Amino acid sequence: MRIDPEKCISCLECIDYCPMKCIREGDEATVIDEKECVECGVCLRAAVCPTDAIYMPEEAFQYPRSIRREFSDPGVQYPTLKQGGRGTEEMKTNDVTGRYRRGEYGMALEFGRPGTGTRISEIEKVLKVLLKMDVEVEKNNPVFLLLKNEKTGEMKPEVLNEKVLSAILEFKIKDNQLEDVVKTLRPVLAEVDTVVSWGLATRFAPDGTLPVRSRLAQIGLPARPNAKINMGMGRPIVEA
Amino acid sequence: MSHSLHRNGTVENLQNDYTFYARASRFVNREGCGPKLLRILEIILAEKPVNFGSSQAGKSVKAGLDPTEYAQTLDKAYGVACCFSDKGAIKRALLKLKEADTGISIVTGGLIDEIVAIAKEIGITPHTAFLSLGIHGKKALLPEEDVLEMTTMCGHGLVSFNLARAVIKKVRSGEMSPEEGATLLAQPCPCGIFNSDRCEALLQECRDKAK
Repeated sequence: MRIDPEKCISCLECIDYCPMKCIREGDEATVIDEKECVECGVCLRAAVCPTDAIYMPEEAFQYPRSIRREFSDPGVQYPTLKQGGRGTEEMKTNDVTGRYRRGEYGMALEFGRPGTGTRISEIEKVLKVLLKMDVEVEKNNPVFLLLKNEKTGEMKPEVLNEKVLSAILEFKIKDNQLEDVVKTLRPVLAEVDTVVSWGLATRFAPDGTLPVRSRLAQIGLPARPNAKINMGMGRPIVEA
Repeated sequence: MSHSLHRNGTVENLQNDYTFYARASRFVNREGCGPKLLRILEIILAEKPVNFGSSQAGKSVKAGLDPTEYAQTLDKAYGVACCFSDKGAIKRALLKLKEADTGISIVTGGLIDEIVAIAKEIGITPHTAFLSLGIHGKKALLPEEDVLEMTTMCGHGLVSFNLARAVIKKVRSGEMSPEEGATLLAQPCPCGIFNSDRCEALLQECRDKAK
């Protein structure tokens, strides 16, 4: 995003709207730090600028900077995947896709959430460790499209320093990998230069319970009391 | 899009906060799903959600989305999102959806035990849960808990920490009412899952604590 200094009257109304805190008062006009801007468009959509000085410059659409907008503005479709958002359908449609079966878990590490943003380089650090653990990385997630080497987790060099509001690393593990994956990931996540929101998708047991909750508590990674739940109303339903 | 997961809060202040998402799968039933989404929208609107919206439209009803115009876009959409503050309303909506049997996947967010109990009461069997295992990494970057409880209601991270701080300050000083503050904070979230009722209660709490 950019502010036209000829139009800006330095009213500062836009500053608080920026999720990346990258709009500041300048000498002659309010300015956006383009290194930190993730092109989410919040400042523009807020429509608080009395002189319409905020705009999206042409460079925001040019690769590799274009990935900022694709990962940060939920109204933008990721071109290859033809879907909005940073992730996939994950468990939202699991009742009809059967993506996560009993005996396996889906995991989602959302880098930069809540509210801090992330460089793609931070995702690479964790992905390189993950791929040594025989996990199944989700190929329909836009992060996968940034990979240079699917086996090592090396990202394309031109995207490493691009900053996005958040990006999700999605993968699937087998039931017997849970403890090892958690034990390996925790110290790696502690070292990244951003925050990561961690999610786990699991099937309900036939008796309607979620046995993984007590298992997570035992390994010191308790689930929050709130979650999102696929209510099993999709058809045709995948029961397995 | 795990946008309705990871809402920060306590068991107490997460009560009466229910997100709702109907989603057609691009691998199974997205083709021609428009009329089904429209039927789902009619059902949820009848139960008066707190907020609803569309990332494609770029705004929620709290930011001026017109429900009629929104309905007309559903032919090209693959989901419908909203949030409720009333347990009875989400229960009635789910019961009507069970009867409508659209075949579109329905996801409800909230306290796990409450959602499971609702499902049992109306005779549906929950299929899959997405659990939140908390925030990891460089937590020094995070703001105060009251700010997080408000901003994480937009799962896409479009409500800034500083906007929440500015609103809290204005509410505490009496320059803005909690209701006005909640409406303002709801606006950057286009999907309409930002629960402005819960935000208003959180702002009231901030104001009361400051007294």
